[in-house]
Amino acid sequence: MRRTGATTLADVPDDPETREPDADTEEAGAARRGPRPRILAAVLAVALLAGGITLFVQGQRLRDTPATSNHALTDTAATAQVTGDVSSALSKVFSYGPGTTAATKETAKQVLAGKALQQYAALYGQVEKQAADQKLTLTTQVVRAGVTRLGTGSAHLLVFLDQVYEREGKAATTAAAQLSVTARPSGGRWVVVEITSR
Amino acid sequence: MARVRTTRNPLVVAAVVLTVAAAGAAGWGGWSRYDAAHDDAAAYAEARDDALAAGEQAVQNMNTLDHAHLEKGLDSWEASTTGDLHRQLVDGREAFVKQIETAKTVSTAKVLSGAVTELDDRAGKAGVMVALRVTVSAPEGEPAVKENRMLGQLTRTSEGWKLSALGQAPVGNTAG
Repeated sequence: MRRTGATTLADVPDDPETREPDADTEEAGAARRGPRPRILAAVLAVALLAGGITLFVQGQRLRDTPATSNHALTDTAATAQVTGDVSSALSKVFSYGPGTTAATKETAKQVLAGKALQQYAALYGQVEKQAADQKLTLTTQVVRAGVTRLGTGSAHLLVFLDQVYEREGKAATTAAAQLSVTARPSGGRWVVVEITSR
Repeated sequence: MARVRTTRNPLVVAAVVLTVAAAGAAGWGGWSRYDAAHDDAAAYAEARDDALAAGEQAVQNMNTLDHAHLEKGLDSWEASTTGDLHRQLVDGREAFVKQIETAKTVSTAKVLSGAVTELDDRAGKAGVMVALRVTVSAPEGEPAVKENRMLGQLTRTSEGWKLSALGQAPVGNTAG
């Protein structure tokens, strides 16, 4: 087993005088000095690596919680924008009079999309008829809007509305409405894609 | 000996490099972990969610009352509030007990949705809006179901966020 050429791998010492002459009985050498510091170093390296990974993962976990992935209020600019866009969209599409239903319909196509637009379109025939027949004017104003959840691709809001119904010759009545709204970004602004009455 | 050194060195170098890299990973991980724990945005997001959860629960508590368990219900009202609102409840408790004992009503509430509208993390103040459905049953007649919209102010106390003001979002105030 012992070779004098000493081109063997690694740490087998080639000089039996200066080194432990026990290449063929590795256990003994290992116990005395060769591999021991190496094992320590290896354990240390592994421990440091494992510690680093654990801490990093913990850090990521602290950073990426359901709380932090929701940017409502933490991103003030985006929160203000989505609140503004949605409030404006709702007050526009739910405000019409006998002569303005066509304009409202056009606006709806710009500020609504998806399911919200479909529902709105389905209802709109009725709305047009009502507005014309009863000379009904509806004015909707947002009382309060809050963002429940704001992600990069969608936002959920709760909106309190006041709806004032005016029929010609009658006193105006005001109704309260509470809507849950889903909005998606589209061309630099937010469009309403879903509306649920609360 | 020279040959021994050359056969050993790459391993030692590799081991040293690996150890340094591992130490670097540990340092980086530690910094990342520390930074995350002191992330203001994360703390703010956490406070927002705490305020909303506490606010929704408090609004629900304040709309729940069973005449058969009046003391328990009113204790829960008092535990959900702080400041002026708390004082009003404590002051008005006796009169209110009489009122409910006469009416024998049972109110239950379900929160439909809620949102934090403002949050001052440092001052410990928050504003919430909550849509809820309240059912009031009297001994006679059908239970009355009503959708309510409430606006609440929260104040942070040593026991968490509590309501310091609560009211219905007014109807018709904004109409021109």
